Amino acid sequence: MIETPTAARNDTAGLDSTDVARVLAGDVGAFEGIVLRWQGPLVNMAWRYCRDRGRAEEMAQEAFLRAWRGLASWRSESSFSTWLFSIAANVYRSELKRFPTAVPLDEAAEPSAPAVQLSDSELRGQNEAVRRAVLALPLRYREPVILYYFHEMDVGRAAQTMGLPEGTVKARLARARDLLRKRFPHLNPQAAAGPILSTGKDFSR
Amino acid sequence: MKSDTQPGARLDAIDRILASDDPLVPSSGFVASVMERVRDEAAAPPPIPFPWKRALPGIVLVAGTIGWLIYEFIRIALAGTFSGALSGILTSPIAMPHIPAAAQQALIPALWTALALVLSLASWALSRRLTRRSSLL
Repeated sequence: MIETPTAARNDTAGLDSTDVARVLAGDVGAFEGIVLRWQGPLVNMAWRYCRDRGRAEEMAQEAFLRAWRGLASWRSESSFSTWLFSIAANVYRSELKRFPTAVPLDEAAEPSAPAVQLSDSELRGQNEAVRRAVLALPLRYREPVILYYFHEMDVGRAAQTMGLPEGTVKARLARARDLLRKRFPHLNPQAAAGPILSTGKDFSR
Repeated sequence: MKSDTQPGARLDAIDRILASDDPLVPSSGFVASVMERVRDEAAAPPPIPFPWKRALPGIVLVAGTIGWLIYEFIRIALAGTFSGALSGILTSPIAMPHIPAAAQQALIPALWTALALVLSLASWALSRRLTRRSSLL
């Protein structure tokens, strides 16, 4: 099971500090604890940036290496997870600028039908079309969407990760959601009552 | 879960779809491959620092030359001989104050050639000296 970023953050702050201190004292092996704890969140974050498993792991690996090189620059008064996610976001952003994955928004896959009486496979196809459409957004709108939902809809955390003011992230997020709603007009709030295949998380509370 | 973009707003279908993305489990060898690269980096010798001390004279020389050329170019341009700037630089009183104009015209190609040769020689000598000192050759 993959830990959510919030759960990982709450449970591991002390362990992270200890491991960082050990690494800085010369114990290279202590970095493995950090990788073990954060591999899930970092790979999943990368996956949301590119939706390519192999590439997501490569990008996450690069993010860990970048963190390793800059470990001495982490100040323990700030959250280790925030620091690590910021590094990862910078790595992923740079990677996507070098090798873009995006397609124009109007070329993103069109769901086959409105979300009414769809089979499981059709629902999965529709959900995947929406997720892929995020990759077709311009990067300035795409990243707030990715990080907002990655951070379990926490604008503050998304803004910290991007190093931007919350207001800017909220504005970009609103614009991105408008673009997505225009792209998928049948997925309006009234349609939200329809079934959405999920992974067991209850997002209605 | 927080939803602080639109407080009080209900989640719409797009929210629910994007928030319910399937989690990806990293492959079993992921940690090992990261640690292998980390250990490689830890075992690698530190990068060679740039030899600022040795490079400084060259940098100063180049900067000085460029500065002098800019100064001369601007001076000649301001004097109203912009169209003949290049030849003006070489035939200006500052460049060759005691040589007659006719002789200067003949000397210009020879001076350029000599300057190029001196710079090439200096560059070759400097690189040879640096590589010998650092035992690379």
